[in-house]
Amino acid sequence: MYKWFIVLLLSSGVTFAHPLRLSLCEIEFYSKENLISVNLKLFLTDVNEALVFNPYSNELAFCQPNEHSDADKMLMEYLNRFFYVKFNRKKINFEIKKKKLNGEGENTALWVYLEKSVEGKFNSMEVKNAVFTDLFYDQNNIVYIHINEESKSIMLNKETSTYKLNF
Amino acid sequence: MKNKLLIITASFLFAVGCKNDKNQSKEDLIKRAYAIHDKVLTLDTHADTPLRMIEPGFDMSVRHDPKKTGSKVDYPRMKEGGLDAIFFAAFVAQDIRDDDGNGRAKSLCLQMIDSITTSIDRNSDKVGLALNPEDAYTLEKEGKHAIYIGIENGYPIGSDISNVELYYNKGVRYITLVHSSNNDLADSATDPHGTEHNGISDLGAKVIGEMNRLGIMVDVSHGNDSVFYDAIKMSKAPIIASHSNARAVTNHKRNFTDEMLKLIAKNRGVVQLTMLSNYLREAKPNVMRDSVLAIFRTNMKEVSEMNTDERDDYREKINLINKRYPDPSANVGHVVDHIDHIVKIAGIDHVGIGCDFDGGGGIDGVFDVSEIKNITVELVRRGYNEAQIEKIWGGNLLRVFREVQAYAKKAGNNSI
Repeated sequence: MYKWFIVLLLSSGVTFAHPLRLSLCEIEFYSKENLISVNLKLFLTDVNEALVFNPYSNELAFCQPNEHSDADKMLMEYLNRFFYVKFNRKKINFEIKKKKLNGEGENTALWVYLEKSVEGKFNSMEVKNAVFTDLFYDQNNIVYIHINEESKSIMLNKETSTYKLNF
Repeated sequence: MKNKLLIITASFLFAVGCKNDKNQSKEDLIKRAYAIHDKVLTLDTHADTPLRMIEPGFDMSVRHDPKKTGSKVDYPRMKEGGLDAIFFAAFVAQDIRDDDGNGRAKSLCLQMIDSITTSIDRNSDKVGLALNPEDAYTLEKEGKHAIYIGIENGYPIGSDISNVELYYNKGVRYITLVHSSNNDLADSATDPHGTEHNGISDLGAKVIGEMNRLGIMVDVSHGNDSVFYDAIKMSKAPIIASHSNARAVTNHKRNFTDEMLKLIAKNRGVVQLTMLSNYLREAKPNVMRDSVLAIFRTNMKEVSEMNTDERDDYREKINLINKRYPDPSANVGHVVDHIDHIVKIAGIDHVGIGCDFDGGGGIDGVFDVSEIKNITVELVRRGYNEAQIEKIWGGNLLRVFREVQAYAKKAGNNSI
């Protein structure tokens, strides 16, 4: 009973999560540079919920001086389950190059910048973006794809999580 | 059968929300509300449904289950809900503000617009592209839904004002100057870095001039308060807020103060009520859910020690807790509380409806477009008559649209 009361007290200040179940992703490829980059903009509360089961946890402390030593590893493990880019049908093993926090409160976003050099003539790209569809049935992930001078926007979600572009 | 279900749902909402009225039975009131709803032109000024249209394989002619897919609008549900006209907003998220970024934004915006027109072409037996206020009535008579196009976020205009005419020629009839971050035209109400232009920039002022010249409505939703005051001063025609509420009822930066509501009345503009829970009521903590989750977490294994199967198992259990104790949503009573307030402050001629379906909009009783009749039921229950409901459901917005076009015609746009 006492434990229950303490829990009630601690949780009474919890604020509500952002109302939009949305993430943004930009994928860029320039054939001259042979480089694929990905910029993911994710709500920090969603990242925390997905990785440590608590939207308001500061355990991983992304982009803070006390960032958890396994924060990047855990983030990549999660992304590798729910996100990929295939270049010429081969899955790219991205590395996190940069991260930053943007915004405040429940609207704070974690920007994750991934990149990888690729070789060969570009023929096809396949994208999967099902991030946070394990948390929310109505999660939507907007994906902007920029290949050389051309841009395309698509929406991926639980029902439709992959998209293939042929050139 | 569907109508029966709607009446049962509406009866339930009515029973929850009303005190006994001896002169009128619940069923009579609902029937009267439905009759009004069917008779007046119903127009929703803001839906982000084009985001759905760019989902591979998404078909607007098929009915989707909102509880399974999250989708809030398709053509079968527009028919069920009795929605005659809608503005589909082409939305491009704010990104880098340089020539490359602007160029990409333009390209993405044009694709979004194309996705709307393609959907209209594919469903030409059910819907039609609407460009002028009267098109909504003409299409309604033909038994079709009117599809208007807006742009949410002026970012795709970039620094090239000629793009405004390009979008006009593509069918765009309102532009929301800014979205959740500042852009080159205006300051956002929600940019974490605060104000940048102190309202609308010089470029933004020129864009408004061009919108006035062409007959595009100036939309100040998402702008900060200074954007609202600047737009009132700069625009030669009345302005709109395609999806915003009243701040005196719910204290949110996206909502309008009473002073702003009085000014929009003076401007002959209109505020379109939106169905986002956080703009409709102050959220109360979900104490039960948070308590259960807190206990669950204290008994949880260290995350770093979990294997994938264990993680999936924990995820499933947490999802079940969230499902069992959902956040209490706003309801149709909150919507009409805002309408009542705007009517009291600005008058019946300056309020309308812009649900923001597929952009976060959707509440108890108006979860998707198929349930919008419940707004009319609540309006009737509170004593609004048919003429007033006609104004709220589209008459006011179309009056502003006519004034915007009348100014443009006077300014030399002969294409109207």
